[in-house]
Amino acid sequence: MNWLRRTTRVMALAAGLGTGAAMAQDAPIKFGLLQDFTAVYTFVSGEYNQGQQDYLALVNAEGGIDGHKFEAIVRDTGNQPQRGIEAYNRAREEGAILFDFLSTPVSRALVDQAMKDKVVLITALHGRGDASDGTVFPYVFPMMATYWSQATVLIKYLEDNGGLEGKKIALVHIDSPFGKEPLPVLEDLAGQKGFELKAFPYPSPGNEQSATWSEVRRYKPDAVLIWGAGGGQSVSVREGIRNGIDPENILSVVWLAGTDAKNVGADVMTGVKRFEAVSSGTDPAIIQRILEKVVEPGNGAGDKANVGSSYYNIGVATMAVAVEAARLALESEGAPLDGTKLKAGFEQIKDFDAEGLMPEITITPEDHQGGGAGRVSRWNGEAWEPVSDWGAAYQDIVRKEIEDGAKAYEGGN
Amino acid sequence: MFYRLSGVYHTRYQAARALWPIAADRWQVILLLALALAAPLFLSPLYLGSYLLPWMIWSAAALSLTLLMGLAGQLHFGFAAVMAIGAYSAIHMTRAGLPFELALLGGGVSAALIGTAFGFAALRVKGLYLVMATLAMQYLVDWVIINVPAISGGAQATLRTPAVSFFGLPIAGLEARYYLALGWAVLLTVFFLNVRRTSFGRALIAIRDKDFAAAVIGVDPFRYKLLAFLTASFMGGVTGALLAFCYYRAVTPEQFSFNVSIQLVAMVLVGGLGTAIGSFLGAGFVLLLPIVLTNLVAALGSAGILDVSQNLMAHLPLIIYGAMIIGFLLFEPLGLAKIYDNIRKYFLVWPFRHSRS
Repeated sequence: MNWLRRTTRVMALAAGLGTGAAMAQDAPIKFGLLQDFTAVYTFVSGEYNQGQQDYLALVNAEGGIDGHKFEAIVRDTGNQPQRGIEAYNRAREEGAILFDFLSTPVSRALVDQAMKDKVVLITALHGRGDASDGTVFPYVFPMMATYWSQATVLIKYLEDNGGLEGKKIALVHIDSPFGKEPLPVLEDLAGQKGFELKAFPYPSPGNEQSATWSEVRRYKPDAVLIWGAGGGQSVSVREGIRNGIDPENILSVVWLAGTDAKNVGADVMTGVKRFEAVSSGTDPAIIQRILEKVVEPGNGAGDKANVGSSYYNIGVATMAVAVEAARLALESEGAPLDGTKLKAGFEQIKDFDAEGLMPEITITPEDHQGGGAGRVSRWNGEAWEPVSDWGAAYQDIVRKEIEDGAKAYEGGN
Repeated sequence: MFYRLSGVYHTRYQAARALWPIAADRWQVILLLALALAAPLFLSPLYLGSYLLPWMIWSAAALSLTLLMGLAGQLHFGFAAVMAIGAYSAIHMTRAGLPFELALLGGGVSAALIGTAFGFAALRVKGLYLVMATLAMQYLVDWVIINVPAISGGAQATLRTPAVSFFGLPIAGLEARYYLALGWAVLLTVFFLNVRRTSFGRALIAIRDKDFAAAVIGVDPFRYKLLAFLTASFMGGVTGALLAFCYYRAVTPEQFSFNVSIQLVAMVLVGGLGTAIGSFLGAGFVLLLPIVLTNLVAALGSAGILDVSQNLMAHLPLIIYGAMIIGFLLFEPLGLAKIYDNIRKYFLVWPFRHSRS
């Protein structure tokens, strides 16, 4: 009877392999969302990742792209490069073709590897800004306004609302490479537009900034740009207001959200402005559909209260762009997708605005930033309301910065 | 039974003083070394590149730190900064055209010089106060790296390692990088095991136990404290350079931040102060356990066994990890090395119950 048992076992195994092969044909398209949920980026990654998962769930609920479903591989990296490397290699073995680390240290550590492995790395609002140069970084897609573009949009807003000539602008930033990033662009603009620029660094992580802000007060700036992330941002706003700076004259990098307003005091912060890469709130059509088809049936990836928050919508936008790229890639390159085909899909994206969720972006083989557009929105005490139209500004200066950086990368930096 | 102690008589001092006087221990070490050498043959690139390779490098770092903290008793909470100096020096030297072998040494030497400069604090202060002094080193080095573009590499603060070769072997493929790291870890292990048997090692232990008592018996604390910092910083500097060249292949300031210093101290303490095997076990525990736990919890989650929110899912591995650190240290305050030692002693005399040492 032994031989019988053995043959049935072999047959069962063969059958199992057969179904496995059959399943591989319509295997889902896998995205590796390997982010920092426990260390430095916790202020954003929870909502951001929830938005990403909910959007993929929406696409799947609507039948996928030509029947191709999407699957997210979600892991915590704790912002540690060595854990990011492990998670990346594991997800790649599982077949992921797109990666999003939302952590500057991790994505810096893996830029070279991703390009060697020919998989797509999206670095929306983090990582190397110079990766916008698609000729040097073929597989890296910042795909939203880089920090340089954010600085130019904010300066353009100041120019349109009161002019820049002879004005004094303070940049209060965290003392890290990220905090210093806008400096060269702002210096260029200061020379061109005739305003005075002074930088005021505060020590990382930014819980204590009072010494910096009393210096800012003595400088009597006409406008203050705050450049930090996480808990340091609400400290900046609070200290600025305490030092007699009109909230209307405080403008922030993209990292300022409703949660920070709650920490500062929603009414106290009224008037503070920020750069916005993606609309917030639940009004955009995509968010409405997510509410209807994913969250209401109880399939949401997290707390319903987060839906429509600033970072949630940014997460939705990143996945909307990625799924659009996958759609274009399936159309022009055909299934099954791999990193190279997906990259080609990204580079075909033209005037895509995710049904009004974000400014129109056009990604080309040269420009992986997608235009660098954004707008300025103002906290009105309850929500963010836009005070300018979507648009990019001074992209020539930004482009120069991108190309210089890309050249330095080729030189080994 | 397992160790076959009966009939083992050492008739010469050399044999009695061998690193592993018992044959069974020797065989275990040889077996482990053979497994490590053959690892590229049976491990997938995932496990070789993301587990074994970083484990070897961090074990080397823990060995360097345990020489200072375990043997010489000098607490150091800024060891990541020492490694950073080594990494940055080596990368700038290779970019300036120096051969890689010399750049590794150069990284070690510059780390040793700067590390020893901060070691002068140890001549005046001890214990927690020395912790403060070495913390200051961590922050000073971090600040200098971030604020001097010539060191950090400018706006993006990233320096990619150039292509190098080590005595003709190009350090590019995973196997070459692994063997270089393994070689360094083995070299440091052999050095560490032997340093305990030299007059230098005994002097360090004397300083650790009581520095003025050591002075009374003729061990110069000034000299030996600085020598401890010099040796450990040299080892740490070369390890930092290898971390950059063999593993990350790019240097950024975050790779050597304060957190990394704390992780190194945790490796040394959880592993067991002043032991070679403790450095390996501690590095494995602190480096690999969070990764394993994250994957385990994620696997349980996707299998539907563990139905919790995304947020708790991300933090669950941390909770388990923290509980395990406390658990292991409560179970055996002297660290994982002591647990290994207890097990070994049990089996030395098995099936009997008591052993002599």
